[in-house]
Amino acid sequence: MRLLASLALQNLGRRKARSLLLIMAVAVASGVVFTGATLMRSIDSSMAVGFTRLGADMMAVPEGALTNITAALLTVEPTDLVLDQDLFARAGIASVSRAAPQKIARVEHSGIGSHHDSVDLIGFDPAIDFTVRPWLVEKLNRDMRAGDVILGAARDTVLGSELLIFGKPHTVYGRLGKTGVGTHERGVFMTFDTLEALAGSVHGPSGPPAVLQKGKVSGFLVELAPGATPLQARFAILSTLKGVKVVTGDSTMSGIRQGLAALLNGILALMVLMFASTALMVSVLFSAIVTERRGELGLLKAIGARRGQIVGMMVTEAVIATGAGGLLGVALGVLVMRLYERSLVYYLENIGVPFVWLDGPRIVVVAAAAVVMASIIGALGSLYPAWRASRRDPYDLVRGEG
Amino acid sequence: MLSCRGLRKDYVTERGAVAAVAGIDLEIAAGRYAAIIGRSGSGKSSLMAMIGGLSRPSQGQVTVDGTDIWSLSENALAAFRNKRIGYVFQFASLLPTLRLVDNVALPAMLGGGGRSSATYARATALLGQMGLGEHLDAYPSEVSAGEQRRAVIARALINEPALILADEPTSDLDEQTEIEIMDELLAVNRERGTTLVLVTHNLALAEQAEQIVHIAHGMIVP
Repeated sequence: MRLLASLALQNLGRRKARSLLLIMAVAVASGVVFTGATLMRSIDSSMAVGFTRLGADMMAVPEGALTNITAALLTVEPTDLVLDQDLFARAGIASVSRAAPQKIARVEHSGIGSHHDSVDLIGFDPAIDFTVRPWLVEKLNRDMRAGDVILGAARDTVLGSELLIFGKPHTVYGRLGKTGVGTHERGVFMTFDTLEALAGSVHGPSGPPAVLQKGKVSGFLVELAPGATPLQARFAILSTLKGVKVVTGDSTMSGIRQGLAALLNGILALMVLMFASTALMVSVLFSAIVTERRGELGLLKAIGARRGQIVGMMVTEAVIATGAGGLLGVALGVLVMRLYERSLVYYLENIGVPFVWLDGPRIVVVAAAAVVMASIIGALGSLYPAWRASRRDPYDLVRGEG
Repeated sequence: MLSCRGLRKDYVTERGAVAAVAGIDLEIAAGRYAAIIGRSGSGKSSLMAMIGGLSRPSQGQVTVDGTDIWSLSENALAAFRNKRIGYVFQFASLLPTLRLVDNVALPAMLGGGGRSSATYARATALLGQMGLGEHLDAYPSEVSAGEQRRAVIARALINEPALILADEPTSDLDEQTEIEIMDELLAVNRERGTTLVLVTHNLALAEQAEQIVHIAHGMIVP
């Protein structure tokens, strides 16, 4: 192996200009893929934050419930009617990507605010939620757990402090930003278990509200599946689920979100094509290199090199060149992203548009994947010409045939 | 030592099949110096390539030291070429990126010996015997054509083969260098007892051989 690597390196060094051009070509392709993939994932995350802040695409509530339509669907509305919490999970509607259940209880004498203030206690599932957590402007440096509450922007309580709700201690886990949606701004958000634990303290005209029972919710915030239209989803929900009313939000945002997702997928397809064309280029180049070196390969076979050694030497040579190209591409990509960060990202953040970079370990994974992909391209591109040459008789190769 | 039976090599061309070697039976005893002579295109190089395991015959059998070489698997034949046969081609057949000592050591390394100090000691000694002791670290482009050819002979000897096949080894050299190279090859034949098969169209070189095989139109002529 050391001998093959040594021969491969010497061969690369023999044609420095050609080797450098190959390395540069692969570096450009790898750099584009690395930068593109990192930026795409970052834009995707930023879009996820930005668009979820705009709320759900639609809301599914019990038929007969009164709803106050706002520009953004961020929380369900208080109602006496309830739905089963696993309604959407059981139905599995294709045009629905996510359906986040919420339960809401409007209560008085809770101990929050002045004595007669009504407070919306909102239960949500942090694992499925996509309208509460994106609005977190500050939170404790740990996962949310039972007994924690998140306060809407209108409530000013110190993070980590104790908040008594019906005399029971809760910890202020986080605070939300201003949304302009009353329920959302005044709400006190908590997990289903935390809210259900308060059922004994909340008294309606005929006992605790039905929504505080386990497994019951006030409604669902719904996000459309990629490609699905609000009309399709509405029809699918109404025809599948009984006793449900669908409230539709601003369909323009759904269109923009889906359009941008399609655009990102298009860019991904272009990057795949670019990598494929690089693989073809490497293959063509190595066909030419093998043709040029037929005499040398024939000589190596004549003095005892096995087929595997011939293929191994050529593939090693290609992997070294394309792997180096991959590393150089990643380095170039890092430079490009630095420029991007200092220009466009800086501008976006100045105008209040959040840009969420992919975290460090994931960037390292993408970089490693780009280098590995570049090396694989070298291996695949050189494999066929090398294998074809290795099958020839040494005498044919020495004479310049094959 | 070397035996060929019904050896034939056909090449397919646009005008149909052409027989480069058209059925040759040949015996060469161990330790002999044999010369295969004939005009250009007579089939002597094709014959040598089949004898040396470099070109698969269309028909026939080649036995070297009792081994039917063309019945061997691909890897076994590569190992046989590596251990039992040394080649001196009609062109400068050194790898340009390797020093002379690396070129000479290469067959031993390919054969599994690795980059050992024993291999390099042997390569150094062989280059010394060929008068190239001062050029161990030189690259092929830094030495003369005659010195390159001596290095090729040293490389052919690195695994102490039983058979040396030399295909027009002096065709591109001047008269004096040709004599020196032939002296080296004959010395290997006489002093080491290595069988030497020389392909040439130079009758003067062939006159020193113990056995002369005259080829014309792919067949042995008396």
